[in-house]
Amino acid sequence: MSRLPQDLEARLTAAAPAGIEYSADTDQYGVTVAWLGLASAADLSPVAALLKELGARLSMITCTQPSAPEEEEEDEDEESEDGEEKAEAAPKETPKTFGGTPLDGTSYEIDYHFDIAGDALTIIAYVPQGGSIASLTPLFRNADWHEREMMELYAVKVTDHPDPRRLFLDASVDGAVLERLIPFSTLVNAASTKGLWERLTAAGKKGAA
Amino acid sequence: MSTHDVPETFSIPVGPLHVALEEPMYFKIDVKGETVSHIDINAGHAHRGIEYLTTKRTMYQNVVLTERICSLCSNSHPQTFAMAAEKIAGIEVPERGIYLRTVADEMKRVTSHLFNVALLVHLVGYETYFMHMMQVREIGQDMLESIFGNRQDIGAMCIGGVRYDLDDKSIAYIKGALDKIEAETKDIIKTFKTNGSILRRTKGVGVLTHADAITCGVVGPVARASGIDYDVRREAPYAAYDRLPLVVHSLTDGDVWSRAMVRLEEILTSIDLLRVCLRDLPGGPVNINDRPDIPPGQAVTRSEAPRGEVIYYLRTNDTPQPERVKWRVPTFMNWDSLRFMLQDAKVADVAMIVNSIDPCLSCTER
Repeated sequence: MSRLPQDLEARLTAAAPAGIEYSADTDQYGVTVAWLGLASAADLSPVAALLKELGARLSMITCTQPSAPEEEEEDEDEESEDGEEKAEAAPKETPKTFGGTPLDGTSYEIDYHFDIAGDALTIIAYVPQGGSIASLTPLFRNADWHEREMMELYAVKVTDHPDPRRLFLDASVDGAVLERLIPFSTLVNAASTKGLWERLTAAGKKGAA
Repeated sequence: MSTHDVPETFSIPVGPLHVALEEPMYFKIDVKGETVSHIDINAGHAHRGIEYLTTKRTMYQNVVLTERICSLCSNSHPQTFAMAAEKIAGIEVPERGIYLRTVADEMKRVTSHLFNVALLVHLVGYETYFMHMMQVREIGQDMLESIFGNRQDIGAMCIGGVRYDLDDKSIAYIKGALDKIEAETKDIIKTFKTNGSILRRTKGVGVLTHADAITCGVVGPVARASGIDYDVRREAPYAAYDRLPLVVHSLTDGDVWSRAMVRLEEILTSIDLLRVCLRDLPGGPVNINDRPDIPPGQAVTRSEAPRGEVIYYLRTNDTPQPERVKWRVPTFMNWDSLRFMLQDAKVADVAMIVNSIDPCLSCTER
């Protein structure tokens, strides 16, 4: 029933040498939703290239910071770039993804949602705090805005982005807004007519002087 | 070669607040004479941080919040969000609820498409016909108000079904309204095919080629007008779409006229779908009449809003609030295609071409 190629899992395994976690299920309408976890974020580009070959359309990119599993205490002292080997060498208290990225509430999970002829496939890549991920724009032009939005909402870096400006937030706003607690009164600052009026009149006086 | 010593190009701002733009988007347009040579798009004038807010509210409050993301596709947001929650929790929507979801969806599509095409006629400068088309749309708006009590945010969706029901009287009323809209829409299509003013301004203007449409990943009527035969309702069916006689309209020219035409034809299809839904409407409850806790999990769901594919990603945890909600609206994908459509266009056509992607900024920036 699925419109995904029969040998998709094998081809994805070949494209991602660090390892994958693949699962798929088909609903009562015959629509398949597949999930593909990558052990290493470095495999993103080759896997995305394979999907492009299959005629996939990039639909959305979600960035999120998965919270640490509850039974573990917050442990923020290590930021491992290459978690897989470290995990084998010295097992840490911090829970890890199957690829070895620490799940301490500071790592990023980046989900690339693709459409293949009506079926949905999501690539999941993990990036530790302070890490970076390659831009998908060389393969999918429409990754542009998604990656710009991701860079302003989180402190995640996207390498080789052709236009890494702010997308929606003004340059005067500090970055990584979804990683901080922003009080509601601050968030809706511009919505307060009085505050806005006072700021504008102050700016006007300064300009006139 | 010009002998005058004047700069080759001028830079003019269009927006963020501009008489001919319906949405606060800022275009920095470089022109050579009357011709657009380069455009830069500057967004961020309607950013409200709704994505952040969703994680502070419960799953059930978010049904209300997501409806406020946009007014013209206000039904698609809570529906797709609810579909994601239902998928995680394994909730099965009752049959009557499934059909009523489709009814609400298609009613919104009819009024949304009529609104966009009416605005196109306004930008063409044919004001009398614009007012006539808005009058036709008003039949649909009256229908929404009579059935749901609201003209824009109709509040039809809930997790596990819908919050409204139809009886014989309201079904007869909807059928009567649809008959009126159908006759008028057929007239409008005829006008669009023959009226010189409309044809001259819209034919061959703002072309998005098939190849560029694929590169940009555009969705909805914009994609279908450029020959991408894709509709979520057919490709990834939800609600009752798998058992309805859905016709997907696509054209190949990729110009402003084609995009308007796809929308007009889709209005007629929506009316057909509504009639079948109302005829086959099964009995039974409209929702599950329960508010179960949504267990931890993640889901991706999609639906076809009037402007194209809406996709929701939902991740839940043990708390009543979702851990992450992310969605992408069709317009988010379609802005970029304006770079292709506006290239070498005439300055006078800029507002019309922008309108032809049916832009929705409150959706895009959230």
